[in-house]
Amino acid sequence: MTGRAERADAAEHSRDSGKALHGRPFLSLLRYNLPYWPRYLGGAMLAMMFVGVGLVVPLVIRGIVRAFETGTMTRQLLALYFLGLLLIAAAEGVARYFQRTLMIGASRHFEFDLRNDYFRHVQRLSQRFFHCNQTGDIMARAVNDLNYARDFIGPGIMGTVDMIRLPATLGMMIYLSGRLTLVALVPLPFISIAVYFFVRYMNRQSKVVQDLFSALTARVQENLAGARVVKAYGIADREMRAFRKACEAYMRENIKLVAVMSFAWPLIGMVIGAAVLTVVWYGGGMVIHGDLTLADLTAFLICMVMLAFPMAQFGWVITLYQRGAVGMNRIAEILCAVPDIRDEPDALQEAAITRGEIQFDHAHFAYNGVAVLHDLCFTIRAGETVAIVGPTGSGKSTVIALIAREYDVSGGRVLIDGFDIRSIPLRTLRRAMGYVPQDPFVFSDSVRENIRLGKPDASDAAIRAACETAQFSADLEEMPAGLDTLLGERGVNLSGGQKQRLTLARAILCDPVILMLDDALSSVDTHTEERILEGLREVMATRTSIIVSHRVSTVRHADRILVLDDGRIVEQGTHDELLALDGLYAHMHRRQLLERALESEA
Amino acid sequence: MSADYHMDDESPRRAYDARLMRRLLGYVRPYRRWLVAATLLLIVVSVISNIAPLLIMWSVDHYINNPDRTGLRAADDAAVSDALAGQVAADMAGLLRIVALLAGFMILEAALRYVQMIIVALVGQRTLMTMRLDIFDHLQRLSLRFLDRNPVGRLMTRVTNDVEKIQETVVSGMVQVVNDLLTIVVVLGFMIAINWRLAVIVVAPVPIVFATSLIFRKYAQRSFLEVRRKIAHLNACLQENISGMRVVQMFRREDANYAEYRRRNADHRNEWLRQIRNFAIYFPVVEFLGMLATALILAYCGWVILATGREVSGTASVGTIFAFVFLAEKFFSPIRALADRYNLLLEAMASSERVFRLLDTPPDIEDKPNPKPCEALRGDVEFREVWFAYEPGQWVLKNISMRIAPGERIAIVGHTGAGKTTLINLLNRFYDVQQGAILLDGVDIRDYPQVALRRKIGMVLQDVFLFSGTIEENIRLGDDAMPMDHVRACARHVNAAAFIEKLPGGYGYHVGERGCNLSTGQRQLLAFARTLAHDPSILVLDEATSSIDTETEALIQDAIAKLMAGRTSIVIAHRLSTVQHADLIIVMHHGEVRESGTHQELLAKGGIYRTLYELQYRDAAGQDAATPE
Ligand SMILES: Nc1ncnc2c1ncn2[C@@H]1O[C@H](COP(=O)(O)OP(=O)(O)OP(=O)(O)O)[C@@H](O)[C@H]1O
Ligand SMILES: Nc1ncnc2c1ncn2[C@@H]1O[C@H](COP(=O)(O)OP(=O)(O)OP(=O)(O)O)[C@@H](O)[C@H]1O
Ligand SMILES: [Mg+2]
Ligand SMILES: [Mg+2]
Repeated sequence: MTGRAERADAAEHSRDSGKALHGRPFLSLLRYNLPYWPRYLGGAMLAMMFVGVGLVVPLVIRGIVRAFETGTMTRQLLALYFLGLLLIAAAEGVARYFQRTLMIGASRHFEFDLRNDYFRHVQRLSQRFFHCNQTGDIMARAVNDLNYARDFIGPGIMGTVDMIRLPATLGMMIYLSGRLTLVALVPLPFISIAVYFFVRYMNRQSKVVQDLFSALTARVQENLAGARVVKAYGIADREMRAFRKACEAYMRENIKLVAVMSFAWPLIGMVIGAAVLTVVWYGGGMVIHGDLTLADLTAFLICMVMLAFPMAQFGWVITLYQRGAVGMNRIAEILCAVPDIRDEPDALQEAAITRGEIQFDHAHFAYNGVAVLHDLCFTIRAGETVAIVGPTGSGKSTVIALIAREYDVSGGRVLIDGFDIRSIPLRTLRRAMGYVPQDPFVFSDSVRENIRLGKPDASDAAIRAACETAQFSADLEEMPAGLDTLLGERGVNLSGGQKQRLTLARAILCDPVILMLDDALSSVDTHTEERILEGLREVMATRTSIIVSHRVSTVRHADRILVLDDGRIVEQGTHDELLALDGLYAHMHRRQLLERALESEA
Repeated sequence: MSADYHMDDESPRRAYDARLMRRLLGYVRPYRRWLVAATLLLIVVSVISNIAPLLIMWSVDHYINNPDRTGLRAADDAAVSDALAGQVAADMAGLLRIVALLAGFMILEAALRYVQMIIVALVGQRTLMTMRLDIFDHLQRLSLRFLDRNPVGRLMTRVTNDVEKIQETVVSGMVQVVNDLLTIVVVLGFMIAINWRLAVIVVAPVPIVFATSLIFRKYAQRSFLEVRRKIAHLNACLQENISGMRVVQMFRREDANYAEYRRRNADHRNEWLRQIRNFAIYFPVVEFLGMLATALILAYCGWVILATGREVSGTASVGTIFAFVFLAEKFFSPIRALADRYNLLLEAMASSERVFRLLDTPPDIEDKPNPKPCEALRGDVEFREVWFAYEPGQWVLKNISMRIAPGERIAIVGHTGAGKTTLINLLNRFYDVQQGAILLDGVDIRDYPQVALRRKIGMVLQDVFLFSGTIEENIRLGDDAMPMDHVRACARHVNAAAFIEKLPGGYGYHVGERGCNLSTGQRQLLAFARTLAHDPSILVLDEATSSIDTETEALIQDAIAKLMAGRTSIVIAHRLSTVQHADLIIVMHHGEVRESGTHQELLAKGGIYRTLYELQYRDAAGQDAATPE
């Protein structure tokens, strides 16, 4: 199985459990609209009102024509009709104002709610999800697809409501002449058939187009995020080529969609025109034969003209609905992704982590089917400092990720303070952890906010103390605004070591029960490292600590060292015990020692 | 999170601007022939569609409401009755002729309209693709100084959404506007031809429409700019949260970040609610004015008929009234449409202003007009009294001078934050020096073309960035000509082959965004391999082995020594064991070169290097003592 297929598999897997909403965008749309039903009701009522009022217009015109025909027109009557028309228009305008604010406003509230929920949901998703879905794609859904959904909810529903004009006008037409109405409706079946096919095609094609747009967004996102690499390798032209390809694909599919959509308009226009002509011919005949008055025919034709607009609008609403539905489906795909790491219903709310004893009980772990950890069994006693060493890719970070429950084991158990980690509420678990990930992440915010991320109420004094331990104070002093210094995205304005020490200070400040440093001193010089370790010794004395490192100097003072190789613990013990064992660790130690020895000889 | 490191996104100024429009038109220019064709088609369509009411009117006056027939119907005898039947038949035939004519016109209209729409769609899509590519291209040119200060999410919004907004409006909008204007003119022509007095009445409310639009614009355009700005901020916030979700979750920041997002979201929504109110007033007003025209016509016609008596109905026959009511509707629907488009145009203008502002940002690192070729570099690097600051006044590098002879292996050490990364960032012109110069083979690097220069310098960056794609793609980086053997060989040199071959799919293994499904060390190895694969003249390693175990590191060191023999290399490392064999070691401290020399020289000197060394040495000695052997 290729990697790509596997990725798709994983994505599928993480989504399919929540198919409930997916594929039924209308339902999910409805759910978000429900709170605003008074607005829609109000809008619909207003629409009914102005449709009703608008229907009076042909009657008024008929009245005028008839008055002339029969010679009963007077100036007063004319003035009355005139004012009547204006009044009707004014009433319609006022109704439209409120309808617009109510219904389009509702769509903005809908957008707001949905966007919030989307964000909230994405926050709950686990690492596995983010590894399968590109940032740009997740964003495109929140931006582009959401817009489509909103356009249906707002203008779309408003347009739909406006279509009560259709039956109302139809009623009026029947009232004017039933026979003529029947004639006018002849083209209706054709419209329905055409609409059916268009809708089917548009649905498929919109999905294609919107997926491609997502791909486009992801490309831009990745290109910008990797700007340094793109520049360093001088590959802007290649990026450009790839982007052009993505743009062209998007354009091509979009043109296909538009070509068919464009066909829909003239077609619908033609069908309506045909109806009008039929009425002119047939109705005209009726007048000629004396079966219908001219005034009735006039009114009838005005009705038909009034129909033309909502009919055209119908086509437009269908487009909006199609795109909205596809957009909603794509949003629902994410909203239905079930976080694979979450509080189980039987989570022990009272579980508390106080001692910080960690136990791996025959833990197995695999990323998407590739086994990474095999049958790990070890215990880290409360308060102990344990180091994990091992070659690149041996699974050290994975062990830490399991303790932080970024993933769940595929077999066996991980226990903290005797509780299975899956039964501990996530918040409790994470509050107990101070975790410095291997690649430091810094937010575009002030240094202060970045450090007190896990403890928003920490005082400046506490922050400074944590910085002191992390040896970040000197850097802080050099910064123009001290703690208030603003950082760029991903901490672009910090050096590699500064980022690491900032994240270290962040973890220390949390005062966690369990402190985990995943190669957290790799970008720090030996001098600084030495001083950090000295400070940390005090911090680590009172809590369970796990240190991952490649440097013997960092780990040798640990109470115990676990040597991991290819996902198995191959050695464990103190520095001295492991040296005596003369295994992997001793080898690694000798290698570093050998270098030193060479150095000293020189 | 009120303050922001990022460049001020500038508060809105004017939205619509003739200059902006001209630039937008510039994008359309290559397709002007097509657009002219589309417009001509539209003119035909317009004329045809407006003939319809005329023909209907004609048929009302001549057939449907034929006065001859009315006269005949009044009389009551057999001969007349025959005549009536004949007249009815004649009228029916006449009516049928007209209806047939109308049907023909209608089909023609539909066909022409379709062709016209397709042209417009094609041109629109192409134009906007050009614009999108232009923005992307420009983004590639902009320097890191700019990119550092502009969050990815905000820039993305421009390439994708702002362009999309323009796409929805501009091209189709332009042709539609022409169409609308034409329709107005044509209808006006018809109206004047039929009865100029009535035409004047219909046109009377138009100035009011104008005035309303001007007032509306004042409120709407500000809002639009604000809206675009706010959505960009919202997206930036989302993007940052997604990429940092791991930390967000680990430090239980979900609620706080959600609150922040929600706040921005609410800002955006509220701006829209304001805007919706503007529209909600504007549209009905235009609508009302249309109805006013209809009412005025009816009243006027009625008034004329009443004043002149029914006999003189030639002035305004019933058919004329009928036609005018139709025409008034025909006249106002493009005006209504124009009003509608006007608001879309304002929105698109807000977007295009943002797009053009980005396109107008001059890249502050540009190639000289006649750059020197940079083919075969010997690798002679010289820093000559280099001063550099990221922020004005805060010097990060102070008066750095050093010389690296071709083929030399130099190492840079120093405390974290000393300016090591900055130094090499200057070497490949991520940033330009403020004072002094960097010379490569005796030529100022600013005289070389950037791309060629950077391709010569192979750099393993401190922050590893991998693209999503296969392992192979990440090593090739788009160089399709690279033989697969070379890819494999490079992976072997850095010892990456072992882990790659174990991955499902091997070199075809799909790497996630930023390499998220590899271990950090593996990522570093891959970045290393990709640099070697591009066969640089100068190799720069910034902490390239910091996350790699010592065993592998030693192997890589050997391989590099062989591969880079005779080529200049610069190595930044904290582990002194990595650097001690360098020909020259440069010790940086607070942005200055403190010491330089070989390992022995520096030890003899007794400065920072010696302190650093002794720290490690003492450590090693301590271990020696602790070793039970
Ligand atoms: N893009 C930037 N904008 C503003 N300041 C920056 C930027 N990059 C680095 N700095 C600052 O410049 C100084 C030198 O940073 P540099 O990255 O060169 O250090 P370094 O020697 O590489 O450190 P390390 O060993 O930690 O990687 C630091 O104080 C850092 O905060
Ligand atoms: N998200 C992931 N999806 C799939 N495989 C992964 C993922 N993360 C890590 N791996 C694989 O799991 C193995 C162990 O990775 P891990 O990150 O735990 O290594 P490590 O010991 O921390 O290495 P390093 O010293 O380089 O940090 C590696 O072979 C890696 O390729
Ligand atoms: Mg790791
Ligand atoms: Mg650095």
